[in-house]
Amino acid sequence: MSAALSIENLGKRFGVGRPAVDGVSFDVPAGEIVVLLGPSGCGKTTTLRCVAGLEHPTGGRISIGGRVVSEPERGLLVSPRERDIGMVFQSYAVWPHMTVRQNVAYPLKHRRKSRGGDINAKVNETLELVGLADYADRPVVSLSGGQMQRVALARSLVYRPQLLLLDEPLSNLDAKLRLRLRDELRRILKQTGMTGLYVTHDQAEAVVLGDRIGVMRDGHLLQMAPPGEIYNRPADAFVANFTGASNVLRGKVLARSGETATIDLGGVGRIEAWTPQPLSAGDQARIALRAENVRLGERAERNVFSARVLERRYQGTQTVYDLELGGQRLEALELGTAARHDPNAEIPLTLPPEMCWAYRDEGQSLD
Amino acid sequence: MTATNAAALPVADSVERPTRGWATPLWVGALLIILAFLVIYPLAMLFFGALSDSNPVVDGFGAFRPSIARFLEVLGNENVHLAFFNALLACGGGTALAVLIGLFFSWIVVRTDTPGRRFIAGASMVPLFVPPLVAGVAWSILGSPKTGLLNIALKWLGIDFRFDFYSMSGLILVFGIYYAPYVYMFTSSALRNMDPSLEEASEVAGASAFTTLFTVTFPLIAPAILAGMLLSFVVMLGIYGVPAALGAPANINVLTTYIFKLTAWSPPLYNTAAAVAILLMVVTAIMVWAQQKVLSGKSFATVAGKAFRPRSLNLGSWRWFTFALALVYLFIVVVLPTIALVIAAFRKFLFFKDFDAVFDTKAYSLVHFNAVFDNPLTMLSIWNTLKVGVITALVGGALAFAIGYTVNRTHVPGRKLIDLLATVPVAIPGLVVGVAYLWAWIGLPGGLYGTIWILALAFVARFMPDTVKALSTSFLQIHRELEEAAWICGRGLLGTIGTIVLPLARPGVVASMTLLFVLAIRELGSSLFLYTSDTTVMAVLLLDYYEGGNTGKTAAFSLVQTVILAVLLGLTNWLSRGSAQGSARVG
Repeated sequence: MSAALSIENLGKRFGVGRPAVDGVSFDVPAGEIVVLLGPSGCGKTTTLRCVAGLEHPTGGRISIGGRVVSEPERGLLVSPRERDIGMVFQSYAVWPHMTVRQNVAYPLKHRRKSRGGDINAKVNETLELVGLADYADRPVVSLSGGQMQRVALARSLVYRPQLLLLDEPLSNLDAKLRLRLRDELRRILKQTGMTGLYVTHDQAEAVVLGDRIGVMRDGHLLQMAPPGEIYNRPADAFVANFTGASNVLRGKVLARSGETATIDLGGVGRIEAWTPQPLSAGDQARIALRAENVRLGERAERNVFSARVLERRYQGTQTVYDLELGGQRLEALELGTAARHDPNAEIPLTLPPEMCWAYRDEGQSLD
Repeated sequence: MTATNAAALPVADSVERPTRGWATPLWVGALLIILAFLVIYPLAMLFFGALSDSNPVVDGFGAFRPSIARFLEVLGNENVHLAFFNALLACGGGTALAVLIGLFFSWIVVRTDTPGRRFIAGASMVPLFVPPLVAGVAWSILGSPKTGLLNIALKWLGIDFRFDFYSMSGLILVFGIYYAPYVYMFTSSALRNMDPSLEEASEVAGASAFTTLFTVTFPLIAPAILAGMLLSFVVMLGIYGVPAALGAPANINVLTTYIFKLTAWSPPLYNTAAAVAILLMVVTAIMVWAQQKVLSGKSFATVAGKAFRPRSLNLGSWRWFTFALALVYLFIVVVLPTIALVIAAFRKFLFFKDFDAVFDTKAYSLVHFNAVFDNPLTMLSIWNTLKVGVITALVGGALAFAIGYTVNRTHVPGRKLIDLLATVPVAIPGLVVGVAYLWAWIGLPGGLYGTIWILALAFVARFMPDTVKALSTSFLQIHRELEEAAWICGRGLLGTIGTIVLPLARPGVVASMTLLFVLAIRELGSSLFLYTSDTTVMAVLLLDYYEGGNTGKTAAFSLVQTVILAVLLGLTNWLSRGSAQGSARVG
């Protein structure tokens, strides 16, 4: 039975210094997959390990299926084996001294509340699900990395836990295999209807796998939303940058009405941009923009500018341009095998207002 | 990959170092002759001895009638059976106990939040530095059935139980607690290198910590446990001091003590001793072979993709329990024996009316120390020990450097054979080396027998594998290109060794010489058969005192020896560390 996960104000501090996780709250309804995304050291893995019970939180409350499993303020801590969860580790963590079958059967044999039934049948069924039915009696060390990770997945699914935790399960695999297993992972999770919490630093993985994505940085959860919203309405400059909006234009806010801000870019004129923040006139702003969203050679109604091509990098199926726009740098991407603009050419371009996102410029670094 | 490797090979061969004509065969020949002289000749003599009832060197080859029947006759002897069985029992029991203690300690130190882990880790290695005979002496003072300090304490407490360390169980106990560090060394590093998520996966899957320990952790480090087990067994099998101190009073002979007894017979039964020595060597060789097999075998790949923080189990208030257990162990192996030696050494008579008499200061004096130093042999033995240590370190270090360089850094033909010969002694217990050298040199007129040199050469041979191995590691750390750069600059081979290899390998060379020195000054097994009254060494003299029955003098000399060892150990350690730092600046 899948169950909901609820995290309230989670905190985890290792010794002195900045806490690894600081006031993180979110809910995962039963059957949903939430991906925690962020650079290394952002606290995503620590959050996951707190949910697993492998790390002991120093604050907040975690409940799984309505049952509180961790609440340090009340001295409450349920051990990992009592939480009825499954976990897939980055390093696979399949036991090399056992066969595939022994690995998968292990939880069924050692769990306190065994659900009864035929262990062999359950193992076979699960191996079928992950596509390893033919490998049941092989020693795991004879398998490839991708197959080992399937064993690990089968091992964590075989007892139908309430919640499945996945800690960068694909990052040890090579690129091609990662793509294949990524799609398959979503199919398997959806097929079993499992509630999932998935940790990764790879945006592509997050977008494909997650029903919702939570972006973390420095122990804080910055935004939790469906992939489309993360990609089109990033809540802050870091989220925008981390998901690939690497262009930054700086300017001064002239006016704001609702979620639209008008910003002065200096010599080249003003730009209209969407903003989630209460910017007011006179604020310094930075505008984030994906290279893919720059419309080269196009003159729409709003946000039309003229830029000079500094450099052209032809990449076969696409071309990357370095542009100069009123003294600021801008990177643009043109799809297709033909590169249409020459270096040093002065070309028109449109920056669609709903694709330009303005944030308060506090001079902070985005890395 | 294979294709590129195959293509690269001939190229590598063509960049072979400058050829030196006659020099190469001469060098290889010289090394082979030295090794044959140090290792093969004594072993061959040992075999001849085992197979006959004469000494071909003494009696001439005319009297040499080899027959396998003689050897079989010795192996059929009841006393030999008994000694063999006792050895297996003592070492087997000791190993079992050592595994228990060693595993427990590595778990405490690596996997739990027991307070003072670092201190425990360091202190639990102390038994490695205690000479076996000193440990045996200390435990005989503590646990002899009538006068043992422990039994006096028990009597005072009104407890009816009495310890008897002059027994098989006493032997097993002392073996177990003193050789646990060998198991610890292997298992703690295996645990440290194990990906903690392997254990976490089990916990998440619903297994208890206990189940996890026995179904995941221990099976995964099984190769390390086995390797540590075999090593400690081999070491115990070759130990003379402990069974001599604790087994002899109860007439319990193991192979080592039995071999020595045979040579102390009148007339000495050298041929029988050689035969039993071969039995001991064969058992040792099998164990060493098995250990190498385990270590080189495919160990489970437990390395994770990312660096992991070692997992430490939160024991809660149980951590004070594990802490207390660690303290109890340290008390038993370090504190208790030291107290025993101190009391016995400073007390005029080791007789206690009651327990309060222990604290009677009037009963303490320096009389035993005076007696020890009044004996001219004492200073002679200290002096001899130092001489043997220095000779062994210099000769052994130089030879090991030559062998290590030839084997690891050149492509000369015959280097495999050199490597093999230098590794052979790993399977020969010290006592057997002693018997073999005795056979090799006793009859030769004007020979080595009776000089300090026979001891030193026996030690060089005995510790050759350890020294070469220690040196080889430091060679492997010097990048080949550093040498190649020197050749390209026009340096010859010797010039390159002198200006590049030697300076860079200096910390390794100094460290292995230090190791050799320390091993040599505490060696007892091989010295037993090779000393004469002029060349007696500390370890042998201590045995003399012990067998003479004077506990006070034995304890006093044990303390003197321990202090000297500790000072020398500290000094050499300081020397080699200084040298390592010196070269770190260069590197």
